Amino acid sequence: MSDVFAEVPAQSTKPTIFFDGTSSRRRQVTLTFGDALEITEASGAPVRWAYADIRRADSPSGILRLACTTAAPLARLEIRDAVLAADVTARCMRLDEHRTSRRGVAKIVGWSVAATVSIVCVVLFGVPLAADRLAPLVPKPIERRIGDASEVQVKAIFGGKACEDSAGKAAFTKLVNRLRDAAGLDDDSMTAGVLPTAVPNAFALPGGKVYVLRGLLDKAQNPDELAGILAHELGHLKHYDNMRGLIYNGGTSFLIGLLFGDVTGSSAVIFASRSVVEASYSREAETAADTFAIEVMHKLGRSPKPAFELMYRITGKEGGSKLTTILASHPLTEDRLARMTKEDRPASGPPLLTDKEWQSLKLICGSGKI
Amino acid sequence: MNDMQWTPIGSEPIPPPLPPTRVDFSGNRSEFRKMVTKGAMLELVTFGFYRFWLVTDIRRHLWANTAIDGDAAEYTGRAKELLVGFLFALAILVPIYLAYFLVGIEFERWQGFASTPLFLGFYAFGQFAIFRARRYRLTRTVWRGVRFWMDGSGWAYSFRAMAWGLLVLLTLGLALPWREAALERYKMQHSHYGDLRGDFEGDGWTFFKRAWWLWLLSPIALLIFPLAPFFYAEFKAREWRWWLDGIRIGGVSLSSNLPHDAFYGLYWKVIGWWMLLSMAFSVYMGGGALLLVQLSGVPADQVFGGDNAAKSIPMVVMMVVGYFALALAINIVMRVYLQRDLWAKVLETVEVHNIAAAADVRGSGELASALGEGFADGLDVAGF
Repeated sequence: MSDVFAEVPAQSTKPTIFFDGTSSRRRQVTLTFGDALEITEASGAPVRWAYADIRRADSPSGILRLACTTAAPLARLEIRDAVLAADVTARCMRLDEHRTSRRGVAKIVGWSVAATVSIVCVVLFGVPLAADRLAPLVPKPIERRIGDASEVQVKAIFGGKACEDSAGKAAFTKLVNRLRDAAGLDDDSMTAGVLPTAVPNAFALPGGKVYVLRGLLDKAQNPDELAGILAHELGHLKHYDNMRGLIYNGGTSFLIGLLFGDVTGSSAVIFASRSVVEASYSREAETAADTFAIEVMHKLGRSPKPAFELMYRITGKEGGSKLTTILASHPLTEDRLARMTKEDRPASGPPLLTDKEWQSLKLICGSGKI
Repeated sequence: MNDMQWTPIGSEPIPPPLPPTRVDFSGNRSEFRKMVTKGAMLELVTFGFYRFWLVTDIRRHLWANTAIDGDAAEYTGRAKELLVGFLFALAILVPIYLAYFLVGIEFERWQGFASTPLFLGFYAFGQFAIFRARRYRLTRTVWRGVRFWMDGSGWAYSFRAMAWGLLVLLTLGLALPWREAALERYKMQHSHYGDLRGDFEGDGWTFFKRAWWLWLLSPIALLIFPLAPFFYAEFKAREWRWWLDGIRIGGVSLSSNLPHDAFYGLYWKVIGWWMLLSMAFSVYMGGGALLLVQLSGVPADQVFGGDNAAKSIPMVVMMVVGYFALALAINIVMRVYLQRDLWAKVLETVEVHNIAAAADVRGSGELASALGEGFADGLDVAGF
């Protein structure tokens, strides 16, 4: 068949290749323009592709690769000759119909922005609302379980076991019970303890658990200072702040993570936006807990101010740039102290603990330094 | 039209073994760069949702410009499939995350931090995702009108990956070559091109012999930081070459003469760009702050430590804009060097032997869903 090669004109040194989509055989074909595109292999009946069904497929430059919507999905016609390619292109009116056009891109952008706006709205309004409504509805057993789990973790971080000195414990229980009664918390499973660590802090856990860290106890100079802080933590329990925070944090981090996907470096953006959003949320909760502490202390006829003097001794002046203020999860201590000074009243009730009880409470973790 | 009469290949007498064919990559670099730049900007505007379209465009570009034996491949996957896969994966992952949270609580109640092993479950899931993502990509790869496809089970693969992973952990990384060989064998033996079945002939021992000294020297790289990119580049080049040498599809085999120092330049260029961009970012921030001080007439310590929100807002806005520009530029650099240039560099060293075995392959295999890609996206795992 070598004589056949001689008949091939110069322009077809670039052959037209057809793959029928069922086999990888490379078929050299000729094209005929009838009422449809006829693709003819040397031997065999022509394959007919209607011009309206022909679509462009991806190809390297210099090759026109075509597919047909009514043929086998992987059937491809490859035209390497520029003139022939131009002829075919001119006849196929819907060649590029399936490609992403400028309008298509605009549509993607539009929908993405819509999705983003909706997610942002949910983060700003929906999740806080859901957290506020759902937190009181979380069944007590579940809350207690979450509390038990975090208690185990917290104890593992802060020195293993709660301090056990019996006289100190009795004094501590007395203090907590007086506060609890004044706070109107009916949760009888409430537990409180002192953990042996030098960190000066206190916190509340779900399921009615309040912990004071020894560092705070060491810095406290009288029962009122400690009581105010405990009252603040009871405020968190009363307002279900733990469960609210849990629902809120879980919801926002999930939604913001979803929003940013895997744009490189997104974790920094996620972190930044989360801390701004969450900080404002938890600041509200802290202010509410402060209000609660003021009420409880007044009910007991004691001033709430000493607690915040203790806090100020620990943190010092916090006010700095506006940026840190936006990011802070607590109101600034000096602002809180100023508020408490306004609420300061001379003591009208009996002291919360006797001097002796206070002394034994101070020694609840033993007298050794940490 | 002229009557072009050509002899179909099938009717010729069987030719003697041909010399190996090369793989040609004809992609235009500036075209790729423009595509990636535009894509990165759209990614920012769409808060990342454009990633499905950009990833698809990148693959289409790379596939379409890769020609084996004169015929270019084609990527038939579409961005919408990835988006749908991602949404489905999300719908499955959300309850799993919730269950993980609840089970975690029960574990923690029992003992502090006891739920850490649950993390392993996510690792296993990640391995499953890697297998299924590869299946998706392979079934969207078409050459000469016939697609590649994959069978096998993602969970069986995940189990193997976990078991081998444990061994690698116990041997402090020494078993890594055997793990890679075993996993790649599983993947390749379940890969097909039409009715040709793939295989992987690379063995762990060969890889070990090529790279054991890197394992030995790796503590040095941790001490002398500038050496780390050299070590990593060295390791990656050896790994790529070993991987390519082992690939078989039917009677077709690959080989590569990728030099051991092939990636030095690429990694250092990325690091160089990264440093340059960070420097530009600091200059921009410094200059901006200075300009702000000049214009507002406020002393510098008040701009930074300011008690007045109105004065630090321009600073914050500037920082955010600069940060996004930096992220965008690094994004582009990574894609151009570590995807496009690496692809081109590897391909130019590849030789294909006995390509005639793929001259008349019957097409078969079903399309796989993009769910695996969705999982990989949702779990943030990368793998090939």
